[in-house]
Formats: sequence, C-alpha cells, structure tokens
Amino acid sequence: MLRYLAKRGITYVFMIFLTTSAGYFLAVSSLKPALLEQERIPRPTPEQVANSMRLKGLDPDLSPWERYVEWLTAIVTRWDWGRSPNGAFINAEFGDRVWISTRLFLASIILTLVIGVALGVYSAARQYRFQDRVITSYSYLAYIVPAPIAYFLVQLGAININETVGERIFFVTGISTPGMEPGWAQFIDMLAHYAVPTVAITLVGWGSYQIAQRQYLLDNVNADFVRTARAKGLTRNQAISRHALRVSFIPVAQSIAFTIPAIFAGGFFAEKIFAWPGVGSWSIDAISLQDVNAATATLAYGSVIFALGAILADFATTLVDPRVRVQ
Amino acid sequence: MSSEIAAGPVDQPQSAVERLHVAGLHAPADAILSVRDLNVRFNTENGVVHAVRGVDFDLMPGKTLGIVGESGSGKSVTSLAIMGLLPTTAEVTGSVRLKGRELLGLSDKAMCEFRGNELAMVFQDPLSSLTPVYTVGNQIIEALTIHNPAMSKQAKEAHAVELLAMVGIPSPKERLRAFPHEFSGGMRQRVMIAIAIANNPRVLIADEPTTALDVTIQAQVLEVLHTAQEETGAAVVMITHDLGVVAGMADDIMVMYAGRPVETGAVDDIYYNPRMPYTMGLLGAVPRVDVAEKSSLVPIEGMPPNLIHAPTGCSFAPRCPLATDACLEGEPALAPVPGPAAHRAACIKSGSLGGDVDVHDVFAAPPVPVSRFDAIPREERSTVLQLKDVRKHFPLTKGALLKRRIGTVKAVDGLSFDIREGECFSIVGESGSGKTTTLLEIMEFHKDQDGEVVIGGISNKQAADGKTRSAMRRELQMVFQDPTGALDPRFTVYEVLAEPLQNAGMNKADTKKRIMELMKLVGLQPDHVNRFPNQFSGGQRQRIGIARALAVNPKLVVLDEPVSALDVSVQAGVINLLDKLRAELGLSYLLVAHDLSVVRHISNRVAVMYLGKIVEIGEVDRVFDNPRHPYTRALLSAIPVPDPQLERTRERIILQGDLPSPLGTPKGCNFATRCPVFAALPAAKQEKCLTLEPPLEQVAPSPAAQTLAAEPLPAPDQRFACFFPDGEPDEDMLVVHESAGHHAP
Repeated sequence: MLRYLAKRGITYVFMIFLTTSAGYFLAVSSLKPALLEQERIPRPTPEQVANSMRLKGLDPDLSPWERYVEWLTAIVTRWDWGRSPNGAFINAEFGDRVWISTRLFLASIILTLVIGVALGVYSAARQYRFQDRVITSYSYLAYIVPAPIAYFLVQLGAININETVGERIFFVTGISTPGMEPGWAQFIDMLAHYAVPTVAITLVGWGSYQIAQRQYLLDNVNADFVRTARAKGLTRNQAISRHALRVSFIPVAQSIAFTIPAIFAGGFFAEKIFAWPGVGSWSIDAISLQDVNAATATLAYGSVIFALGAILADFATTLVDPRVRVQ
Repeated sequence: MSSEIAAGPVDQPQSAVERLHVAGLHAPADAILSVRDLNVRFNTENGVVHAVRGVDFDLMPGKTLGIVGESGSGKSVTSLAIMGLLPTTAEVTGSVRLKGRELLGLSDKAMCEFRGNELAMVFQDPLSSLTPVYTVGNQIIEALTIHNPAMSKQAKEAHAVELLAMVGIPSPKERLRAFPHEFSGGMRQRVMIAIAIANNPRVLIADEPTTALDVTIQAQVLEVLHTAQEETGAAVVMITHDLGVVAGMADDIMVMYAGRPVETGAVDDIYYNPRMPYTMGLLGAVPRVDVAEKSSLVPIEGMPPNLIHAPTGCSFAPRCPLATDACLEGEPALAPVPGPAAHRAACIKSGSLGGDVDVHDVFAAPPVPVSRFDAIPREERSTVLQLKDVRKHFPLTKGALLKRRIGTVKAVDGLSFDIREGECFSIVGESGSGKTTTLLEIMEFHKDQDGEVVIGGISNKQAADGKTRSAMRRELQMVFQDPTGALDPRFTVYEVLAEPLQNAGMNKADTKKRIMELMKLVGLQPDHVNRFPNQFSGGQRQRIGIARALAVNPKLVVLDEPVSALDVSVQAGVINLLDKLRAELGLSYLLVAHDLSVVRHISNRVAVMYLGKIVEIGEVDRVFDNPRHPYTRALLSAIPVPDPQLERTRERIILQGDLPSPLGTPKGCNFATRCPVFAALPAAKQEKCLTLEPPLEQVAPSPAAQTLAAEPLPAPDQRFACFFPDGEPDEDMLVVHESAGHHAP
C-alpha cells in the first residue's frame, strides 16, 4: 500500500509541476499588472511603476523565462509563492482564504452527501411511487436551476423570514459580525451567519447524489445476486439492504472521495454571493487584478486537491470493493 | 389422476376454480411438491402476457423432474412462481403445495420460512448470481444463519467447510475467505449448489444450471448436483433446453410449449415414444455426438406464439406439419396416450403417433445435400487456407510506468493445419484453449505475425499493401456468434448486405440483384430487405449474417459459434442451411464451436485444442469414434446425449478442476495436470509426460484391417499428441451412475 502511495504520489507531483509551470507561463505572458498601476491618479511615471513592481518581484522587464526561474527558486528554496501587485504576500493570504472556504463548505458538503445518499436509497426503494417522484423531480430541478439563482432565492427566503418576524434572525452575507465578545453571543452570531449559505449549498447540492445513488441502486435491485439472496430466505427488503446497497455504493463512494478535497477549494458563486472571501473568489479576482502569482498559486492548489481526490477515490473503491486491489 | 383426463381430450376445460378443486383432491398424498393449474400473467404495455397457462405436476420425494422447452416456453417463470420470486406485478393463480402446505398467496415474509430451507434454487448464470462484495463463506453462512439463528458461529463455519468440500472445492477452509471473483464459473456454480443445499432442502430447483458452462465443467457440475441430491435426498426440478442434460438425470419429463405442458411422462416414454409433434421435433432437432449417421436435422419452422393473445386452437398448430383444421378448434387438453399410465400428451393425434413414426417423415427434413467435392479425394482438392506454425504469445507485464515482463501467455502455440475446398474444418476445446485467438490471427493477416497464414494462395508474408488484403477479404468472410450484436440496428437488411458489395466496387443495379439472390439463398423473403434487424427472429438474423458473409462470394467462411445463441429448433434450420450452402456453392468452413454434437454433424475434419496446441486432429468420424488423446476422450464422454438408456450406462471421464492458467505451462505435456491417464500411470512413465512434449503422431492403420488388405493401407487421417493413448483412465475420474437400475422400462 505504501509503495502504491509513493508511486502515485510521484506521478501526481510531476503532473502538478507540469500544470503549474504551464499555468505560470500563461499567466506571466498574458497578465500585465503594470497596466493597472497606470490607471491610478495621480498617474505614476513608468519608472515608478517598474520600480514598485521590481520591489515586489514582478519585474515587467524580465523575460517570462527569467521570471519563471526566479519564481521557482523562491518556492523551492524558501517556499515563497511571491507577492500580489498590491504588495500582499501570497503565503499569508492563502491560509486565510483556504480556512474561509473550508468553513463555508464543510458543513454543507457533509449534509449534501448524507441527505443525497439517504434520499437516493429511500426513493429507489419506492420507485415510481409518490415519494420517489417528488424527490427525484426536485433533484432534477435543483440540477437545472443555476446555482446563483438558487442561492439568491434562499437569501430572499431568509430576508422574508427576517421581515415576517420583524427582527434580524439570519445574516444573508458575511462571515461574522466584527467586534463580538467571545462566548454565547458570538456562537449565536456564527450560527446566524452560517445558516443561510449552508442551507443554500445543501439544497442545491444533494440532487446529483440522490439521482446517482437511486440509479445505481435500481440497477442492482433486480440483480441476479439479490435474487439469490432472496432464494436463501431473505425478504426483498433485507436482500436489497444487505446485498444491493453495498454494491451500488461503489461508484458513489468514488465520487464522494473526489468531493472531499474540493471542500477546501471552495466555489466561486457561493463565495461571491454570500461574501465569504475564500479560494474560489480569489482565483477569479486574481485574474481581473492581473495578479500572476495568486492566479498560479490557486491553480497549483487546484491540481493538488485534484490529485488528493484521485488517490482518495482509489482508496474508497478499494475499501468497498474487494475485487479491486491496489498494488 | 385428475378428472379432466377421465372426461377425455375433447371435453372443454372446466373453469379454473372447478379444475383446481378437483385436481387438489386428486393430488397424491405422498407428493412433496404439488403444482395445480399454475397460471402466471404479466401486465405489459402491449397487454396481458399469459406466460404460464395451467401447469400441473407432482414431485415425489427424491425424484427428478425435467422441465424442457425453448426460451419463452414458461419454464423459468414456472420455477420462479413456485419460489415466490416473481415481481409483485405478476399475477399468479392456482396452487403450489409443499408437503401439503399452500405456498401461493403467502407474503414475502412468510415465504422466507420456506425459501432456502425446504425449497432451494440454483440459477443459470453463476457469474452474476453471487454478491461480488462478500466472501463465499459469508454467503454460505448467511444461508445457515437465516434458518438456524441459534447455531453457533463455529458450527456454522464448520458446516460451511463441509458443504464446500461436498461440492468438490479443494482446500475448502481457505476458500471460505475467498471472494466470488476469485472463482471460475464452474466453481461459482458449485458454491451456488452449496448454498442451495445448506439447509437440506426437500425440493431443489435447478434453472439451466450448466448452460453457461463448458462441457467438461458441465459434467462436473451435473455430477455435483447428483451428489447433492444423494446426500440430501431432495427432489429435483431440473429446467433445461438441452435434452441431453436431463436424459441421464430425470425420472420424469415435462415438455412445455407456449406456457403449457404439452407432453409429460416417464423419461423413457418421452425419449423413445414421443406422442406430441413438438417433442418429436425437439428430439429430431438435436444432433448426436455419438452417432456418425449423416441425416439432416429436423427444423421446426416458425416462431412460438405471442402469449398476449389467448390461443383458440393448439398453440403449436402453426408450426406443426401434421396440423389440420381440427387442430384449430380448441386447445387440446393434456390427455393420456395409449400405453403406460403416466404418459400424457396434448395432441389430438397422439394416438396415431407411436414409436414407429419417423420424425424425419413428419417434419419433412430436407435430403442430405451432396457437394460436388465429396467425390474428389481430399488430396486432389486445392487448399483454401493453410496455417504454418502460427504462434500468438501475449506478454504478461507488471508495473505501471516501467513494465516488466513476468511471463508469457501462449494463447496459440505452433498451430499448423490446412483446409481444402468444399470441406468443413472445426476447432473444438474448452474456453481459453485458444480457438478464438486462432480465428483472430487468421483475420489479422499481417506480415509481422509469427507464422504463416495462406488464404486462397495469398500469404500474409506478402500482404504489405491494402490491395492484397482486400483480395484476401474476398476469399474469406466471417459469421459471428451473436446475430443481434453483429448487425447494426440502424441498418436495414438491404444496407447490411449492400455494404460488402459496394466495398467490392459493385454498381447499384448489380448490388440490388445480388441482394435479392442472397435473400433467397439463405431462405429469407426478398421483400423483407427494407426491414430492420429487430424485426427478425434470432434464427433469421443469423441467416442475414450468413448472407452478408456470402455476399462477395468467398471461398472460405469462418463460423464463430454460429448457432450457440439459438434455440434448438431454430439451430437445426441454420445448420441445415449451412450444410446446403456448403454443398451448393462449394464453400469451405472453418467452424469454432463448443457444442461437439454440432461439430460432428456438420464437419469433415476436426482439431481438438488444449492450451494453444492441437492435441488431436483428423477426420471427424475417426476422431469421435476412436479418440486417441485422453483429452478428446474426456471431452467426448462429458457430452450428454439425448438417449436415457445410453446415458445411464455410459462411463464418463470427469476431468478435475478447470483449464489451468496458460502462464506457467509445464515443460512436458500441457495436459498432464488434468490427465486421467497420467494419474493412473506408474511414476516411471509419468516422468516421460512431464519432461518431453508429445509430438503429433500419425495413427497407424488398425492391424486387423491391414491383415485383410493385400497392399499396405494408406495411413488414416488422424494424428494425436500423446505418449500413452492406450492408457486406462484413473478409476477416481470415472463415473457411472449406478442408480440407473430402477429406470429400466
């Protein structure tokens, strides 16, 4: 198992290096932070701009290759991912951003998975009955409604509740109220901030898991081995829950494993709409702000997360399916 | 028996309730399982399908009932109805009594008391019938736990080991922890049997238990079923389409057609004295592996009826050559025929169909076609295909990035044979013996191949350009196993047949003419050319496949299991067609088939393959009547023949285990690990088998024939690769069913 991990690890490190380097060249040749500086009032002289960029390690006069070597050396020797045009250090910003994304998505992803898989099993057991039709129709609806619209609708709902009650119960944006005393009040404040984004992301997210789990289970409900189990003397429901369920969970487990690391990478729409400045919104902002180092760092981070997901998915499959053995 | 029989066949059937009442009263008291007036209806989009229509039978303790019929005849639905495993949408009426207790109408939960306990079942496909994520032990123990909740864990485990040992799984204790995918198909079917007999069932239903398996493995599994029945004393319901499989096992036979039993009786009465044209047709449609006589098979034309519409007359009448207007007036009841008491048939003419009526006359079997090449000695005919020392070795590698070679799979290892004009050459062997790889190597036709393939005078060594290759393709065409998969569902028959012709550069008018010719040639209506493949039956689709192969007038047709996906009655028609085409068009065939009866019927020469090598080759009657290689002997003895008396007395060689992995092939004879003769040899002689590879040797003319002839006889066309062809097989691997005695009529 360790050898397998090491082998996969090396392959992925190599791939991450390639994507990140390619991403850096793309960014460095297309993003020109110096141009943004010139829109400042009073307009700085070109010398001033070049000077300030050079101080931040973003010298526009160097060739892309020279900058790449400089950038790579800093990472390899000092683990320094460089600075943004506004002077902020990527390393410092990064930790904050990841933590915000994680807090935003952790609870809702767990809820999404649990609710999605449970509803999938529930609706598969009641195929074509009223409950199944309601649940599955909802899932398809959630599938086709664009996420930002769904988020807005949930926000509107929360505002409605606030107005009906006549008092602000939920915050629809923001992470926390500044200046809260630690203790009970701060905990209530945190819940009030968490509730709306968590509910919104969960409501939109579970549909795909419900549909997948329902489909895979239905594929197995009439499988020959379920019939064998019934021929042994199990009732239909016992046979399904003991035999079909685990087999149907194999592909679902794989997709779950891919989801878990994605929590840390965040999502652009949710972060923007609920005003949680996480990794997702940072990566988009970096491009509009001509921020070479931040854009490359988020790209590298995305690759790492993907590699972790792939390894986790392998593990998850091995865990639930004895036919698969890693070596 | 029931009162309707006393009333006679012409009587109209009574209402279901009356029938049930009367029939129930007459069920023998000692029957373990009594089925009365079982009816199953499925609601489908097209209407109500009446899949099982009034099945009655009694099963006595320890006896075996064989249910025989084509696909769609309702035999599997009957068994699932008895088990209570049909979907809830199925409407089941009638009566199923197990030891006098009514099972129909019980809830799923109440049925669980019987399922797996007194009533057990073995299913058709062993590959999908075991849960892939649980160990084999886990699944056997589950069956024990359900019905013996009080049993201790150690006791259950010990019993599971006993069960595995009983069904013949080596080192059962370790194998308990293995997963189903670590077992071969035959091994998995053994596990299925172990699960079924775990709680000593009184009734064991086996639904086509060996259909998916190789003949050698089929023989093993049938043997295990036999042991299981002896150990548990269970009564067995054996469902099959193969009349050979039940001939040796069954006490009674029920032949089903269109959801109804059409003939029932003791096994000998059914096989030697069939009184229903359908049974006669089924028996006549099966080729025999043990008989050399060349007569055409009996095809049953047409298709089984659609069970959505209630039949107004005999349901077999549209396909029956004896049908008259009287047959269309009301469905004939199952009535006793003259002779033994228990023999009943649903035919108004059963009285006139005695044992002396020849099935070939009834069904108007076509005459045996004679090819113009038959009169020419083989040596004087030209060669259409020649293989010289063809090899295909697959490297077995390990590692993801840097691949290391850890072994070689010798899929085909030094194959040489030739096919002459107008002859049919067959390759037989278990799955994994390299038959398909051989065909692929021939079709590949590339100069980098190891060995030489010569097709119609064109060698693969000179096939550098596309032109030679397309010339080769016109010499050789292929017919595939699965007729449905081999035809593009979105092509009409016209397009399917036009494609090879257009490729060959034929113009439109000629193409059209040729397609009409082809349709007539394969026995299809020419005006059906604009239909899509799904509008044809399986047999007709295979005819389209044959027509496509013949389109460009090839000399040689490669047939890859051409009839294995077809029902027996349809199979007979396709085999007759192939035979006819060979004679009329002077074709040569290269046939790969696992059914040795078909091979014997159609081929002139045969090669037996084992692990990539030919172990015996020669004229088909010589090889089949006088097999020299122990593997050929075992293969032939494993095939059940549809002749109950012969089946009961036949000595059978049961090969141990599965085909070994072709990886670590030993230095000497490949077959030594499973060889029945090798097992009986003294150690000194065994040494020779293990160290030297036996070459293909010529069979000498028999000394008796030689003494009669004045001049030296030419060597017979038979060669084999074995050092000890006259060795006696090991006693442990020989099986004769002793229980035969009481069957004798």
